[in-house]
Amino acid sequence: MEAFGSLIHGLSIAAQPMNLMYAFIGVMLGTAVGVLPGIGPALTVALLLPVTFKLDPAGSLIMFAGIYYGGMYGGSTTAILINTPGESASLATALEGHKMAKAGRGGPALATSAIGSFVAGTLATLGIVFLAPWLVKIAIQFGPEDYFALMCVAFVTVSATFGDSPVRGLTSLFIGLMLGLVGIDTLTGQARLTFGIPELLDGIEVTTLAVGLFAIGEALYIASRPAHLADTIEPVRGSLWMTKEDWKRSWKPWLRGTAFGFPIGALPAGGAEIPTFLSYSTEKRLCKYPKEFGHGAIEGVAGPEAANNASAAGTLVPLLTLGLPTSATAAMMLAGFQQYGLNPGPLLFAERPDLVWGLIASLFIANFMLIVLNLPLVGLWVKLLSIPQPWLYGGILVFATMGTIAANPSVVELIQLVVFGLMGFLMRRYDFPVAPVVIGLILGPIAEAQLRRALSISLGDPMVLLQSPLSATLLVIALLALAAPFVLRGLDKMKSTED
Amino acid sequence: MEETGQRRIDPVGIAIAGVLAALALIIILDTNALTLTSVYGVGPKAMPYVVAVGLGVLAIGNLVNALTGGMPAGEELNYQAIVRILGGLAALIAVIGFGGGFIIGTALLFAMTSAAFGRKAFHIDLLIGLGLATVVFLVFSKLLSLTLPSGPLEHLF
Amino acid sequence: MSRFRKLVSGTIAAGLFAVMATSASAQLSELKIIAPAAPGGGWDQTARSLQQAMVAAGVAKGVQVVNVLGAGGTVGLAQLINSKGDGNQLMVNGFVMVGAILLNKAPVTLDQTTPIARLTEEMEVVVVPADSPIKNAKDLAAAIKTDVSKVTFAGGSAGGVDHILAAQIVKASGGDPAKVNYIPFSGGGESLAAILGGKVTAGISGYGEYEGQIKSGKLRALGVSTEKRRSDVDVPTLKEQGLDVVVTNWRSVVAAPGLSDADKKKLSDAVEKTVKSDAWKEILKQKGWDDAYMPADDFAKFLKTEQARVTDVMKAIGLVKS
Repeated sequence: MEAFGSLIHGLSIAAQPMNLMYAFIGVMLGTAVGVLPGIGPALTVALLLPVTFKLDPAGSLIMFAGIYYGGMYGGSTTAILINTPGESASLATALEGHKMAKAGRGGPALATSAIGSFVAGTLATLGIVFLAPWLVKIAIQFGPEDYFALMCVAFVTVSATFGDSPVRGLTSLFIGLMLGLVGIDTLTGQARLTFGIPELLDGIEVTTLAVGLFAIGEALYIASRPAHLADTIEPVRGSLWMTKEDWKRSWKPWLRGTAFGFPIGALPAGGAEIPTFLSYSTEKRLCKYPKEFGHGAIEGVAGPEAANNASAAGTLVPLLTLGLPTSATAAMMLAGFQQYGLNPGPLLFAERPDLVWGLIASLFIANFMLIVLNLPLVGLWVKLLSIPQPWLYGGILVFATMGTIAANPSVVELIQLVVFGLMGFLMRRYDFPVAPVVIGLILGPIAEAQLRRALSISLGDPMVLLQSPLSATLLVIALLALAAPFVLRGLDKMKSTED
Repeated sequence: MEETGQRRIDPVGIAIAGVLAALALIIILDTNALTLTSVYGVGPKAMPYVVAVGLGVLAIGNLVNALTGGMPAGEELNYQAIVRILGGLAALIAVIGFGGGFIIGTALLFAMTSAAFGRKAFHIDLLIGLGLATVVFLVFSKLLSLTLPSGPLEHLF
Repeated sequence: MSRFRKLVSGTIAAGLFAVMATSASAQLSELKIIAPAAPGGGWDQTARSLQQAMVAAGVAKGVQVVNVLGAGGTVGLAQLINSKGDGNQLMVNGFVMVGAILLNKAPVTLDQTTPIARLTEEMEVVVVPADSPIKNAKDLAAAIKTDVSKVTFAGGSAGGVDHILAAQIVKASGGDPAKVNYIPFSGGGESLAAILGGKVTAGISGYGEYEGQIKSGKLRALGVSTEKRRSDVDVPTLKEQGLDVVVTNWRSVVAAPGLSDADKKKLSDAVEKTVKSDAWKEILKQKGWDDAYMPADDFAKFLKTEQARVTDVMKAIGLVKS
């Protein structure tokens, strides 16, 4: 309970008017930079960190937290409004969120995303307070073989994004896996599929692929269909706010998303992508209106957004208890700590509880500030969609390319963006789903690296995958999840014959 | 991309199958050229072979679909619009590549895209694009200190 | 909590001032510092710190940091080499780039640049989990001798400074460096988890990254990779334990090729003045970097020997064909 008292104390300080002001400025700056696709929260924080240098620790931490949340929300906003996921973690949000926006339900999509983030952030913060020491013990036990098994579970969920045809879904997935091969092999340092182009050595940037496939591909597709050129998006159809029905359909996905996001985020190599996809496929399975998935189901926004936020809070567990920065953002937080001459590490909690709890309280306040700032703005954001179509898509392309230009102004990177845009167009035209490509690019390299690490440690013995109880359990779950649809279908058939 | 064959044999599907097979071949050729392998466990060649085999199998799957008419018939295409958008992107890349800077490149992209969506006021849109790009440049470059490619216009600020 | 409260002060003006101050420095672009990596990494931090110190020390009025990402910094290197004779450019680089050039078979080399100065260095440390039976570097060497394949090292990217050190330790212990069972991880956090979880035998990283874990007793430091023991760090060197291995992760600045003597002097004087300034010393303290300043001519010689050494080790590991 001591922890809880410290948190309350931290909150009382972070809630002082001056600090609220800093949180406000931070959220604004963070959103402004975070809306650029390709510039996720980590890069946003890295770019804006100098701004906080001149403040005292309290003000600086709070502004820092504001920038962080602003950056994260900025990515979700563009994912929903213009189908341009700002980072890989908001990819799942774009799938249903943009469909909602096109159907005039952008308001509820943005609202469920903001409120879901807040709910998940709050619960996850409480999770840090009460569960951190216990959770981190489990997290540390995760070895490469266990991560590989977790990836297998994640791969099974990919089929939720396949659409109607397994052959086309798998084709997309394997193209993604192929793109994942490009670049330096992590374990031996050799170049694969780079064809002598130095820029390709670092591999394909996930955001470049996602922005090309999603935003540019869609712009090309819409422009290419003369019959549909006259279509305009109706920015608001029905209520601008979440209806009672929306709330009813959102709260469970928020909680489930948090349950995926927080523990996986706490794993040193867990990341934000896997929980968002797990949440997406779970919501699709559990949804009472499965027909709506693919056409703008609110559960598909609420769940992944909550998972995204909860996993971000989850990365604080190893950071604060062990000094392990397990994500780019966590590494930036360490840089923030270092400004005050603090040595990140397990002693941080013991030596400087004031700053640690100050940070946690700041995140809480910043999250709150984000809602205060953004909910009133939902109407304005949605109005953006009523810009005449030629200018709207002109603006979308400008923003889509600008993210790449600002993050890495290289011609090769821009050419990749265009090639992926063309690919996205062709895939849409010939009815191949685009999401599995991005998922393949994200999961493929991780799965490969973890499997090879596991086998390198075991000197090539594959039994290591079954000897670890964690890994064995996860593999069984993956197998069950893979078999479940067939079994259920079989049962359905049996039932129908009985009838 | 002609719509011949009427569902019997789908040329696009066959083309897709061909592309997938070609990709599988490229992966195998590239992987064979790798010289180093890990001393312990699985080497860097295993995963590429798995992906190549997968692509090969999918090439066959797509071919079967194409021959049995699984592909939806393509609808009418507005080539001009696609060419305009791609032209805008190419212009952006060229301008940035040759040091023309962010503002000019972005303005061109904006105006070309707008034209692709059926607006017939290229010059006005170019001006709007210049204005938009300048504001964006000033906000991001000056206020938030992001580095954007500079050309003649950017040096004025 | 008192400290947190005590430090609460300042005004909005301070925040806005900070925004305006950074924008003012971006306005004048007299000197360009290329950071050949993404914002936030070691090279980027070095570049931005140098920028900060140069402005504070008054040696340059407008300094701009440009991130050129890619291929272990070799994309940035190629760009620098392309701007032949340009006396207004510096690029941050370091030990890791030497290996990256070899590994990526880059068409450019550091020989083509004009060395300006070595700036900082960070020592490496070899650690094991606190409950490991390996107590010191001698135990590690014995384990390697028994079966080199069973001693797994966790560290950073393949061909990087951690990998080089692992190979040299194996060699100094009498093992075959080609057989080193080195497992690269993508981030410090991930490799640390693998070490703490007992998945690998030992871990190698920059000292700063593991300092907290060592002090808290979760990790045991077997040895550091410097020539001499440092007064403020209570860890013996590998060398004094009989493993003759010295590797430090140094960072430096180089300039474009084909500079006039005047330009070269201008740049090296500016860097020298900067590293002697209080602002720079303050930054070093804050970041935990060691001052390893070496002027242009000495650095040029040092660079040559490092290149030769890294090439040898990488051939021995089999990362580069001999």
